[in-house]
Parts: sequence; structure tokens; C-alpha cells
Amino acid sequence: MGKTYTRMGDGSVIELSESELKRDLEEGTRDAAERGRIPPLCEDELSYLFDIYSIPYRFVSVDRGNEVVLTYDAATLKIRRVGVLTHRIQSLQIYEKLLGADTLEFDHVDYSFKPVKPIIAYEQTELEQALLVTTIPMFYGAMPNLGSYTQPDGPCLNPMELLPMGKITEARAAQEEMVEHAVKDMVNVASAMYESGADGINFDTTGAAGDTDFLATLRAVEILRKKYPQMCIEVGMAGEFILGMHGELTYDGVRVAGLYPHKQVELVEKAGATIYGPAINTNTDESCPWNIARAATFTKACVENSHIPVHADMGMGVGGIPVVDQPPVDAVSRASKAMVEIARLDGL
Amino acid sequence: MDKEEILKEARKAIIDADKAKAEELAKRAIAEGVDPLEMINKGFRAGITEVGDLFGRGELFLPELILSAEAMKGAADILTAALPKGTKKRRGKIVIGTAQGDIHDIGKSMVVSFLQANGLEVYDLGRDIETQKFIDKAQEVNADIIGMSALLTTTMSGQKALIQELKKAGLREKYKVMVGGAPATQRWADRIGADAYGIDAADAAKKAMELLGEG
Repeated sequence: MGKTYTRMGDGSVIELSESELKRDLEEGTRDAAERGRIPPLCEDELSYLFDIYSIPYRFVSVDRGNEVVLTYDAATLKIRRVGVLTHRIQSLQIYEKLLGADTLEFDHVDYSFKPVKPIIAYEQTELEQALLVTTIPMFYGAMPNLGSYTQPDGPCLNPMELLPMGKITEARAAQEEMVEHAVKDMVNVASAMYESGADGINFDTTGAAGDTDFLATLRAVEILRKKYPQMCIEVGMAGEFILGMHGELTYDGVRVAGLYPHKQVELVEKAGATIYGPAINTNTDESCPWNIARAATFTKACVENSHIPVHADMGMGVGGIPVVDQPPVDAVSRASKAMVEIARLDGL
Repeated sequence: MDKEEILKEARKAIIDADKAKAEELAKRAIAEGVDPLEMINKGFRAGITEVGDLFGRGELFLPELILSAEAMKGAADILTAALPKGTKKRRGKIVIGTAQGDIHDIGKSMVVSFLQANGLEVYDLGRDIETQKFIDKAQEVNADIIGMSALLTTTMSGQKALIQELKKAGLREKYKVMVGGAPATQRWADRIGADAYGIDAADAAKKAMELLGEG
């Protein structure tokens, strides 16, 4: 076998020999297993990944029968982001009618629950218009973004200013206050959008501001589940483990800081969500095979531990996909095939 | 207690974030003739490196990291004061902030904690900072390093602008430049001519120490 064309986690092209490819796959799965205290991939799975990476084709796909649901978050933003001037509703139509999306997310450019609150009537009207010209199931989505509740953007003292001063008690109190504000906003916005016709609510990049972010989302999900028993609720993550910015917050008796996906999903399920989206960080200093072996190991353990569908986050910098604005098709298609067929995902 | 035991205890005191114990060990090391620099590097700094590793794995959290950093600082101050005249090194200085237009400062603040834990004098400008302000502050405090964080692909160009502005002002050789943040990579750092890239907070502190010749 000649050298295999692949990439580093930053997107740069590299070539790996057979032994280098095998070594990267083994080291990637070992890293995940050690960090998450989960089983590594077995020989057969590593061999399957080896085949996916050594195929010379520019892009690959899942085998017939292994197709999964394709959901696009921030669908109203991404076409404009590459410079194509489309209205939000036109963007959704492009995803539905041209790009093969199975579900979509309607969202605002500020993409956080807090800034949506004062423009909720505008969002409701736009969503209703979008629903009139599409048939696809439509989420309304935004980020919990707990950072937006701290000074100077919000009412709470800023823990990232207090912590370096050693004011840990004050920082923790501020974080607990942030959770209360965020839960109210998330429940208000989600309720309004659901009652305007959204098929579901997506909490995207949950945990971006650490354990407060995750806890607030779980509490909001719990309230929404009681309020709307039929609501579809997706919780998508920001990174592979919950950063402990507070460190002592618990949900249902479990400390949320430090949880990896296979443990996160237990709480997400308990809170009442219907879909969970793990996000495994891409390491730019390692190869794509190393990253995908690692991402598949974490995600497989999560799927095995979950009773709800798992739709992994696959995009720039997560799910074994390189950190580049326009992720290359060779890397994206291989990562997608590997995650679906090794981790047994329900959706991407 | 022999030297190896003191070094081991020092490492443990930092991991346990036990400031009183760390300071007591620093005093005991001096009394028993242990080289203060060895005590800092092989004892306390080894502890803070392990704290960084545990933080990176989600096994230790930010408030504990802050307490470990305080324990490290308390012990390092005692040991530094005991260094013989002429061997005392000036503490490295770094000016840091997030790029203009970028309000995401959580990662940058974690880097600040790690830098402080490693004994650097940190001037944290905060977030959404004009490029020129990084340079002005570095000039004012006679910094060694300027660090700029960016979370967005739309603001990471500020890192490139910083290096260009330093060149224009004839100051590029005076300061080391470090970059970091979600979209930044080693390739990006190489492309814009930065001196170092930190993949996470612990790595950023390690690279800063290397730039200062203390890695």
C-alpha cells in the first residue's frame, strides 16, 4: 500500500504510511478511552476505520441502508455567511429542496436566547412565514450563552473578573444568579416559538460557558417538558466535557462539571430532552484519523448509554472534522461515515 | 524530610491547593538548604503542571485551579526572596486580551489564571480591545510577550494586524507574540508570523515559559 492522503486537524494535507495510519488510529482511541474512562475501539472497528482512510476516493459515503437523519443548525445563517445574499426563509428552502436536509433550524443572527427575547414577536412572524413555504420539520434554535448574563452585557457580576482576584464565593454566587436569569429566558423564548408552530427547540452549543450553561439548559428542558409533553427538544453540546467554571453545581445529585458525553446524555435524558448532540473537539496538532478514532470512541460509548436518539455535532472543529472555514469533502465524508457506522449514530 | 520528599510534598501541596502547606514547605526547604530554584521548578511548578493536565481532562475545575495558583504564588514569593543576590530573575511580563470585536473572554481568562500560576506578571486588558492598545500597554509596562485571543474567524485577523502594526512601529523584535482561541491553529500562527500558539490554557502557559527561556 502506498501512502494515504489525509489531513491534520487544521486541514493541512499530509500523507501517512500504513504503520503511521494504524498508529494514529490506535492512539486516538486510546486517548478517548483514558480521558472518558470508556472502552477503546476494538480491532475490527480500527480495521474498518483503516479501510475508510485508505480508500483512494476523494469522498466516501455510508453503505446503503446506513443512511441517517441530516439536521442543519443555524441554517438561516450559513448561506449568508459564505457571501450568498439570501433571506432567512430562502436559505431554509435551499436546505430543504436542494441540499437534502431532513430537519432544519430557524434562528436569528444573534443566536442566543437572551437577545431573541426583545424581538420575539418579529421571530414568531418570520417563523410562521417560513412554515408556510416549507414542509420539513423545523426547530427554533439558539445558544444558552450564559456569558451574556454577565457585566458589561448583563446584570450579574462577571465571574471571569472575580475568579482571578480569588473571589471564589462571589464568583459562584454570580454564576448561580446567571442560571436563574437564563432559565427564564430560555423557557420564555422556547414557549413562544413552540406556540408559533416550531416543531421543536434546539439548545445549541450547550456548555459553552461551562457547568452553569449546562445546568441552566437542563433546568429549562425540565420545565419545558412538563409544560409541553409533546415538544421535541434537542440539546447539542459545545465541547466534549463540561468545563467546571463553578465546579460544584449538581443536577439530580450529579456534579455536572467534568462530565463526558456518555454521562452528559444521562442527565439530558433525565431532564426530558428527545435528541442529544455530543460535540467532540478536534485537536489541530493531530491527524484526521487520530481525531476520528477519538471522536468515534467517545460517541460510541455515548450512543450505547443513551435511550434517546443521538445526533452528533459534525462541523468545523468538532466530530473529527478539521478546523477550517470550509471543511474539505474528503475529511467531512470520512468523518461522517466513520461516526455513523462505528458509533451507530441516529443522525448528523 | 529529605530533598526528594520535600519536592514530592511541594507538588502535592499545589495539587491540593493547600497554600499554608506550600508556604511552610518553602520555608522548610530554605532552612534545610534546598536550592530555591530547584524547589520552584521540580516541586511547585511540577504540581501546577499536573493541575493544568487535570483541568484539561475535566478532573479539576477553575475555582480549584485559582486556589492552586494562589498556593503556588505564596510559595514562589518566599523562595524567590531567598535567592542569592544576582541570581534573582525578573518576572516575565505579558500583556493579554481578546481581539477587537471579540467579546469571548472565558478562554483568555483561563489562560490568565495559568500564566499567573506560573509566576508571570499578567496585564489583562480584557475583551474587545483595539490592536494599538496591546502595543501601548506593552510599551508602558515593558512587557516580554503580547498575547491575543480570538474565538471567531471574523476576529482572528486582529492577531495578524497586531504583528503588522508591531512591524510598522519597528517593535516586532522587541516583543514575542502569542496567539490562541478556537479558530487559531499552529498553521495560522506560522502563517502570520506569531512566535507561539497555545492549543489550550495549559499549553499557552507552557509556551509562554518557553518563550521566556524557562520552559
